[in-house]
Amino acid sequence: MENLKKDLKEMLVRDLKLQDINPEEIGDDDPLFEQGLGLDSLDAVELVVLINKHYGLQIKDMEEGRVAFASVNALADFISEHRDTSTG
Amino acid sequence: MKQTVSQQIKKKLEWLGHCFFYTVLVLGGQRAAYCFLYPVIFTYVLCGRKIHRATAPYFRRRFPSHNRLALRLDVFKNVLSFGKVLVDRGWMGLNPKAELSGRFDDSEKLRAVIREGRGVVVLLAHVGNWQTCLVRLKALNVEVHALMEFDQERVSKHFFELRGERPFNIIDVHGFLGGMIEATAALQKGDLVLMMADRLHQGRSASVDFLGSRANLPIAAYHLAATAGSPVVVLFAAKTGRKNYSLAIWDIFYPGRSGREKNEEFVHCAQRFSSALKKYVEQYPYQWYNFFDIWAQ
Repeated sequence: MENLKKDLKEMLVRDLKLQDINPEEIGDDDPLFEQGLGLDSLDAVELVVLINKHYGLQIKDMEEGRVAFASVNALADFISEHRDTSTG
Repeated sequence: MKQTVSQQIKKKLEWLGHCFFYTVLVLGGQRAAYCFLYPVIFTYVLCGRKIHRATAPYFRRRFPSHNRLALRLDVFKNVLSFGKVLVDRGWMGLNPKAELSGRFDDSEKLRAVIREGRGVVVLLAHVGNWQTCLVRLKALNVEVHALMEFDQERVSKHFFELRGERPFNIIDVHGFLGGMIEATAALQKGDLVLMMADRLHQGRSASVDFLGSRANLPIAAYHLAATAGSPVVVLFAAKTGRKNYSLAIWDIFYPGRSGREKNEEFVHCAQRFSSALKKYVEQYPYQWYNFFDIWAQ
């Protein structure tokens, strides 16, 4: 789980081209959108595509997105839970 | 929210106006309602100020040589054509057998881009009788999603509800992250996502030329298409007769495939949309229903 969170933080910084921020500076419970990392709806588009590309998972609607995109912790939970379901 | 007395009166008058036109539609049909439009709109254009303020930014640029009187006539023609579109919607909503016959010569082009399997972002604008024409998308056998505001109270705007056959799912732009998560998921499934691209509500924009002045247009659609790898289709409808319309593709492009820097690419896409819209208003100058100063946004 810790590795997954580390990978997610690196992916966020690298693929969303976050300026002036290191992956280590992102807290596990920091909100990803608005006040937290300051991501916006267009970053959400990229994030949906990235999760699909790297983890083969689809975030289907805003309810699922609201839960999964709450923080790095929430995103890691979403991925591990759905990865288990899809492989199990 | 508490309403002022004038707001209450205005709401009451709007309600009475709706009732009047629906009664005329039920008793006399579409043609009778059209007849009543002329005196109502003549009075509205003659006495109202708001409509002139709302349309002036467009008409000053579309017809720069027109004098004051000609501009008044332009506004009359514009509001009349809008009134007819509203009557058509009411008429079709009240009468399940009512149909407009339309041409969609580009349907094969649209099918071809759908077959690419990467979803399609369909750009619309507040022009022509676009809502009425969207019925045609049902025939494409693909799921259609529209990113738009869906105000339950103003259900009269959504004639599909009256008619009980909305050919698309509505993704609420006021939902979480502007509905972008659902829009992306829809494109990943190969579906169609409809978006209005001529008015900026929120988010990032690009400054482009439209009718000789700079206007800020939203770029979310291009970002969405580029990220999902989807093509963009610019689709506009026009009312071409009492019971006729035409639906046509005005441009097709693929954001993100040109090798330009991202922001430069999105400005380029917004300019392509603006150029398509310009061509449309050159052909149908009175079917511009974006009663909003898009050059000031």
